[in-house]
Amino acid sequence: MAVTENRGGRSGTYAVAAAAVAVVTGLGLAVYVYLEMVDLAMLYLVAIMVAAVRGRGPALLAASLSVAAYNFCFTPPRFTLVVADARHLVTFAVMFVTGLAISTLTERLRRREAEVREATVRARSEELRSSILSVVSHDLRTPLAVILGAATSLRDPASNLDAGGREELLDTVVQEAERLERVLANLLSMTRVETGLTPAREWVPVEELVGSALTRLERILAGHTVEVDLERELAVSVDPVLFEHALVNLIENAVKHGAPPIAVRARRRADEVEIVVEDSGAGLPAGTEDAVFKMFARASSAPGVGLGLAIVRGVVEAHGGRVIAEPSDAGGARFRLTLPATPQPAAAPEAMADDERAAP
Amino acid sequence: MTGEQIILVVEDEPQMRRVLRTTLDGQGFRVIEAGSLADGMRAARDTPALVLLDLGLPDGDGLELVRWLRGWCRVPVIVISARGREADKVRVLDAGADDYLTKPFGVAELIARIRVALRHSAALGGPEEPVVEAGPIRVDFPRHEVTVDGVAVHLTPIEFRLLALLARHAGQVLTHRMLLREVWGPSAIEHTHYLRVHMATLRRKLEVDPARPHWLLTEPGVGYRLRDPGRAAKPT
Repeated sequence: MAVTENRGGRSGTYAVAAAAVAVVTGLGLAVYVYLEMVDLAMLYLVAIMVAAVRGRGPALLAASLSVAAYNFCFTPPRFTLVVADARHLVTFAVMFVTGLAISTLTERLRRREAEVREATVRARSEELRSSILSVVSHDLRTPLAVILGAATSLRDPASNLDAGGREELLDTVVQEAERLERVLANLLSMTRVETGLTPAREWVPVEELVGSALTRLERILAGHTVEVDLERELAVSVDPVLFEHALVNLIENAVKHGAPPIAVRARRRADEVEIVVEDSGAGLPAGTEDAVFKMFARASSAPGVGLGLAIVRGVVEAHGGRVIAEPSDAGGARFRLTLPATPQPAAAPEAMADDERAAP
Repeated sequence: MTGEQIILVVEDEPQMRRVLRTTLDGQGFRVIEAGSLADGMRAARDTPALVLLDLGLPDGDGLELVRWLRGWCRVPVIVISARGREADKVRVLDAGADDYLTKPFGVAELIARIRVALRHSAALGGPEEPVVEAGPIRVDFPRHEVTVDGVAVHLTPIEFRLLALLARHAGQVLTHRMLLREVWGPSAIEHTHYLRVHMATLRRKLEVDPARPHWLLTEPGVGYRLRDPGRAAKPT
């Protein structure tokens, strides 16, 4: 809309209006002898229309200039601003009315467009809200139901459980509670990413990020082979908490949906750091490489929250990076994440500190 | 452990208090409960051996209790707080709390943290241990020497100071700010990248696989922790 345009843009639209009138006047002067007065007036209307779609101001300017030029150059007596024939006054009026009408219509159209855009944004957040509701109702209720079932059965004296049965139910309670924890952690990160919170970026070596993700997954990874191959001295500028969560989700996804061995690699590619997590499973079904990152997408075979990979994409994109899924060389699934590389902030901590304080 | 030690639980959720009381009773501790900041302050006068503190209390922030306690005593405080509140954890640790646990947590983890905090508090004031061992890593303070599996490792003065701090607090988390202040001085507390660079070189010198650290653990958004040797003598 005209109001929101910057100064340069606004004066540009006025220049267009003036130029359109000038072009029409030049053209009119060239072909004047072959045309009727009405045809000339039509030419000016074209110039006014061109200006009017750029806003009301340019429309009025073009109409005024057109009236002046038409009157001065063409209406008899020519090369004066005197109007001999009152019918020409009607022409002038038509020029103004056309300019105003078109610019009003254009502005109304623009406003509608803005409204539609706003409505789309609103619809998207509505979609997010209903998606979250569906997680809350399904992904939270299922483990809760299992926990409640197991716990009441454990308490019920009539259930006649043997030691093995009790053990099994208790394990179920713990596992499902842990699953609830993961759902909540994912919801929390998703909300942070979706509400557009700026990540609190810090300079972090990739080795530290991968290391802490692997430590967090220690229990889940027990018994799985994980090959880790990180180029030295790689670092990125990320929110360590959010980014660790994204890495945890990627590796967890490889464990849950892929097959060992799982590989985590990182290397520099030009100005970027590429982190790859791949597994040796059956790979992603063709054509789903993009869909896996959608909220609530999930492999039908495995239980879990359809949020894990959506968080990965959300976090990576919030940091100005990209993540894609593709088949690995061995046919498994490979997730490739790229982020701008960040050089180490300038400082020589060792030297500085040793100057300040003597070694103990 | 000396007799029946008292643990003060400051937590406003009655269900959480019930679980903690039952669990800690079963471990041979005596539990005093407080549901608010004011109750917590009153109960703290009974000189508990340790305080378990929830941060979101109905009448104020648990941080206030930590500040108040640190005004007159060294009783170990373990903060229990929800995930995603890293900034809160850092504030309360910097104010003098000894460790934190993220809700929800397993009982084994809780008991382990309590034992570590009690051990450190029992050692407080006494002579400092000349040697700390964490798995294969051995820090000899008087001789200024570090070995891994008996093999001497050369550390720079900064690396030694960093490791020494973590070893003195083995099993407990130390925030970025604490480590930076102690190792580099108060003017460096914002320069977390100093810390990250030197933690990386320490891991290269001490860990079998620095990308899968077993001893020098990262607590994302909070700080670092040397794994408690008492619990993890054998890597699994």
